[in-house]
Amino acid sequence: MTLVVITLMVYGLARSMPGNPLTVQLGESDPSRKLNPEDQQRMLEIYGLDKPWPVGYVQWISKVIQGDLGRSITRKQPVTQLIGERIGPTVLISGTALFLTWFLAIPLGLYASARGGRIDERFTGLVLYALYSFPTFVAALFLQIIFAVWLRDTHWELPLFGMSDLSSDAPFFARCRDIAWHAILPITCQTYVVLAYNSRFIKANLEEVVRQDFIRTARAKGAGPWRVLVHHAFRNTLIPLVTLLGLSLPALVGGSVIIEQIFTWPGMGRLFFESIRERDYPTIMGLTLMFSVLTLAGQLLADLLYSIVDPRVNVE
Amino acid sequence: MQEVVGCESSVSRGNMFLVIRCCLLLCFACVGCSGSKSIEPAPPSELTASAEERKEPLPVTEPQPLDPFDVPKLSDLDKEANWIDRPVRDGLILLREAQSEEKVLGSVGSAISTSNNSPESNNLILSALGRLPEDGEADYSARIDRHVGGDLGSTNPIMISTSAEFDILGLTGFGLFSFGRDLEPFATSETVKIWQTSTDRMFDKVVLRDDLVWSDGQPITAHDIAFTFKVIMDPRVPVPAVRSGTDQLRWVEAYDDHTLVFFHKEALATNVWNINFPVLPKHIYEKTWEADPTLKDSAEHVQLEQSPVCGGPYEIVERKRGQQIVLRRRKNWSSVQGKQVRERPYFEEVRFRIIEDPNTTLLALKKGEIHEMILQPEQWTTQTVGRDFYERNTKATAPEWVSFHFGWNIETIFFRDRRVRRAMSYAFDHDEMLEDLCYSLYDPCTGIFYPGAWMASTKNLEPYKQDLDKAEALLDEAGWIDRDNDGVRDKEIDGRTVPFEFSIIVNQQPLRIAICTLLKENLDQIGIRLNVRPVESTVLQDLTLNRKFQAYLGGWGSGTDPDTSENLWKTGAMRNFCNYSNPEVDRLYAEGRQEFDRGKRAEKYGRIQEILYDDQPYTWLYWRNSFYGFSKDVRGYVFSPRGPYHYSPGFGSLWKPKQE
Repeated sequence: MTLVVITLMVYGLARSMPGNPLTVQLGESDPSRKLNPEDQQRMLEIYGLDKPWPVGYVQWISKVIQGDLGRSITRKQPVTQLIGERIGPTVLISGTALFLTWFLAIPLGLYASARGGRIDERFTGLVLYALYSFPTFVAALFLQIIFAVWLRDTHWELPLFGMSDLSSDAPFFARCRDIAWHAILPITCQTYVVLAYNSRFIKANLEEVVRQDFIRTARAKGAGPWRVLVHHAFRNTLIPLVTLLGLSLPALVGGSVIIEQIFTWPGMGRLFFESIRERDYPTIMGLTLMFSVLTLAGQLLADLLYSIVDPRVNVE
Repeated sequence: MQEVVGCESSVSRGNMFLVIRCCLLLCFACVGCSGSKSIEPAPPSELTASAEERKEPLPVTEPQPLDPFDVPKLSDLDKEANWIDRPVRDGLILLREAQSEEKVLGSVGSAISTSNNSPESNNLILSALGRLPEDGEADYSARIDRHVGGDLGSTNPIMISTSAEFDILGLTGFGLFSFGRDLEPFATSETVKIWQTSTDRMFDKVVLRDDLVWSDGQPITAHDIAFTFKVIMDPRVPVPAVRSGTDQLRWVEAYDDHTLVFFHKEALATNVWNINFPVLPKHIYEKTWEADPTLKDSAEHVQLEQSPVCGGPYEIVERKRGQQIVLRRRKNWSSVQGKQVRERPYFEEVRFRIIEDPNTTLLALKKGEIHEMILQPEQWTTQTVGRDFYERNTKATAPEWVSFHFGWNIETIFFRDRRVRRAMSYAFDHDEMLEDLCYSLYDPCTGIFYPGAWMASTKNLEPYKQDLDKAEALLDEAGWIDRDNDGVRDKEIDGRTVPFEFSIIVNQQPLRIAICTLLKENLDQIGIRLNVRPVESTVLQDLTLNRKFQAYLGGWGSGTDPDTSENLWKTGAMRNFCNYSNPEVDRLYAEGRQEFDRGKRAEKYGRIQEILYDDQPYTWLYWRNSFYGFSKDVRGYVFSPRGPYHYSPGFGSLWKPKQE
């Protein structure tokens, strides 16, 4: 039911936006490439866009029930194929960034909490706040200039854009290495903002927990400061962390418009942005459906994880 | 970039809630929609008298399948037609001949070491680096990396519509006709032996060369062209752009493998442009077309999208969606059965690198990862002046027939009166726009045809200059006076006082927004309030196409024939966004199409330009030049009114010298 409401709302909004998939073609600046009103009408009929949007929605959802997400109007490809092509590159960036984020954010959060108020912690906090407020598009440009232009022809040189310079018939391992090389800068950009946010989030939660009575009791029992922090305090901050983790599941495949645009990374963020600009309704809806399912799945996963991290919560 | 930045602020911050994000994005666009209501022309009772009539949709007629056609025998046609020979040319040879008569302004060495910071240095670069190679000078094994700003929607020649698709089709597609730097049409001698037109201009006969093959080795014949015509005209096939013009043909008949006749509906001077459409391989599509008229759904068509059969000098060998398209020179284009039948293209491989971000594109050029790109004016002025750019590259500019304007919706009460439109043109500070906002890179524009072009008016149409006194006098004359002393001019309409306050819609690009803001400041000085409303490009197109605006800032490129601009000015025409209507202009366009004498045609189009100059449905702003960055390894770029590529030979004249 939730999925039906979300997709109905998004479909209605998408079809209510000014323009349609033909508008971009009509806007071509060369007057000799004009699309006649008759042709426009004919094309709208072929694409089924001459009918009111509720009818269009019913047709779309009927196809979805049969496992068909339709075909992209502007890219002339099945939407499932389009998503299939883009999801891999996005997960490579987002998955690695997500792993790095949590891998680094937890120790950083613990460290910040343990060293709270000291000069080194304040300095780390300052750096993290600076990173958090540093726009990714500026950081991306700086990284490109430093690693692709200034360090050109050195061991530190990194690719400027794209996912691979090798042709598709190159050896498998050479292509994997090439793709990994191309992914370094986008992953860096995607990681640092979330890292800064998550580590401060962990620190803030820990600081609230360490003020509670059971922490005082643990200390009174003679537990060492790290043991108190990790075994007693951190375990009690896992509930909000799990919530955050669950919500980041759709982001795993959502990609980032800006990073993918700057690094010409063929991912989902660019696809979503382009499909909205082009009013490519089947692609918009295919992606919306996928994001909605993943959001709900993320919530379910978080609910299940609550029972693991907190014995007081029961799955039933 | 601005659009994307604007989006990022609402997208990446909301990474955790993708569904909400998607709803938000769509809501923003819808705000554009609902917001647009406030800038629609007001209801007829309030502001307009004729808006109600305009609510009727544009006339739409159902596209019909081709009616049967009684094809005459070729022998009868030959007797009846009195064929006139038409030009069959090779664009490269034409350019070589033209260059042999031009004086070279300096050596290659001096051009390469020059910074392009003056008209003289620009001329030196164009003259010395724009030349075709001498024998043995070109490296035929070279590869060029070209920039393209977006991915292809389709590789099917008849399904294309975007500039990137037309660029690639120019190298992979088979065609019979082209036009040179002067935009004069000819049949290309690479594919055509003879081109003739009947005396009454109702038929065109073409005899194809017999040494043409598709990339799969099958011969290219006249039957491919006749077949493609039928596919394009099939109403079930979603052909976006190339149906226009082709639908003016009555029939196309292949009399044998090489002889082809185009039958026209009317005798028109513009018929030559209608017979120039892309061609499909019949032996491939005749098996699949009926089963899947969408040409995209079936497994065969999906496969053909990835690896199309090509008829031009290059074929697509790799297509990584969203990243690059690699073309390779076809051996069986230039040599057939071991015999060289055509000149080889200079590059063995052409790689189109897809980069959407302009900053990344410029860095890629500086790094040597691409060899050419279009430069934005601010990139030309500030980011390509240092050693980091000139180390590997140079740049060149030339006039291009692309103009920008403010369009006034004549249906609104504000702009129905010609005096008000002229007042707008006098109120605007053209000099400040050209010098401060456009870095003095552009020339002022006075009308629809480029000064000096064959179709342009021979009268000296002076560019408008800011004259606030004249603007105020014209507004007073038109009845727009500040009656209530609130600082804003107003007018009594149907017993109500209507203040002169309107909105202008503009694409979200900094320069265009700055130009509209300058107009706002200028109008403030004469008691007119202007609201500048930046909108997404698709929204702008939708609002202008549906005439839901009061004023807009836009631009047009030039078609190859002046008749293509009829679509902008004829009463009720689709792109006549400003609702301009002048029976004399309509008549002149109709007569211009039916006139075959170039001089008489020029008089008619010149007259149209003069009428439009007087009526000022647009306030014309400037002609936008071509600005290109090229690697120093690349030579042979020659600019036309449509830039360095979109003519013959266009890209075909580019080459790289052999390395010493």
